[in-house]
Amino acid sequence: MAEVLKATKRTDRGTHKARALRKAGLLPAVLYGHGEGTVSLTLQEHELEVALIHGEKLLQIELDGKSQNVLIKDIQYDTWGQKVLHVDLTRVSLDELVTVAVKITLLGTPVGVDEGGSLQQVMASADIQCRVDQIPEEIRVQVNALKIDDVLHLSDIELPEGSKLLGDPEALVCNVVTIAEEIEEEEPEEGEGIAGPEVIGAKPDEEETDEDKD
Amino acid sequence: MAMMPKRIKHRKQMRGKMNGHATRGQTVAFGDYGIQSLEAHWITARQLEAGRVAATHYLHREGKVYIRVFPDKPISSKPLETRMGKGKGETKDWVACVKPGTVLFEIGGVDDETAKMALVRVAHKMPVRCRLLSRRA
Repeated sequence: MAEVLKATKRTDRGTHKARALRKAGLLPAVLYGHGEGTVSLTLQEHELEVALIHGEKLLQIELDGKSQNVLIKDIQYDTWGQKVLHVDLTRVSLDELVTVAVKITLLGTPVGVDEGGSLQQVMASADIQCRVDQIPEEIRVQVNALKIDDVLHLSDIELPEGSKLLGDPEALVCNVVTIAEEIEEEEPEEGEGIAGPEVIGAKPDEEETDEDKD
Repeated sequence: MAMMPKRIKHRKQMRGKMNGHATRGQTVAFGDYGIQSLEAHWITARQLEAGRVAATHYLHREGKVYIRVFPDKPISSKPLETRMGKGKGETKDWVACVKPGTVLFEIGGVDDETAKMALVRVAHKMPVRCRLLSRRA
């Protein structure tokens, strides 16, 4: 069930006004889509954070006494990835097909890991097309059967009914690799010196004269 | 061997500033866990190497360690007991300019507890205060 957020129209624009809003516990947002105009909004920060914690992608906003379904298109976080700075919302109807990025979760321990390999997840999320009211929270993939040097492609993933995978089906999701033995390089002895990097465009005699000067 | 660029355009650089927060490279992108710098600092190639060694020794060849910063800035210094003048000193070290929020190291392919313990050991080798991050969060 979509969470209902109270929204108000925002006329104040710019960094200073947005900062003042955030200090007051509000959040600047923007609403667009369905051929209607772009509207700047203000949301309650706490309400949105609760919705995000619940993993909601589809929300309901109450604007000017009317309730409408919106999809979270983009979220801007601060440097620390903790505080939401701005949200992009797009208008949707419940029977509409949308493209969303859904997190891929690997389940189980591959056979290859027990044999000394290491599981590497290359792709963290996949783009899928599905109905707005059927967006999965995550895509769960069982990796128990993977042996060393086995790979899992995007086409190998089973999606929930009604969802269609977008992107290259041959794209790598995860693999089990053997860990190459690390070659310890010998540290140069004192006084031996390390050759510096090559200077692009420098003539050999130029460098020599520079060193002579010092 | 310490990390340094293979080719450079200029042998010496000015010191520069490190104002503000990191605006890129501040999320865990490759592994499952990472450490994020909480301060701005130069991190030398030796310190990065010490961190890498600390992590790989703890992991016993399990998992994978990713270093997310590269020391591409040459730092010069004059020899001891040298009079002033006679030009800028020779390159002594290579450093990575790290702003608050930059992810320094990441670890993937090991269980949560092992990754955290390895990253704590890496954080001890860094000249900055760090915090642990996870991709899932």
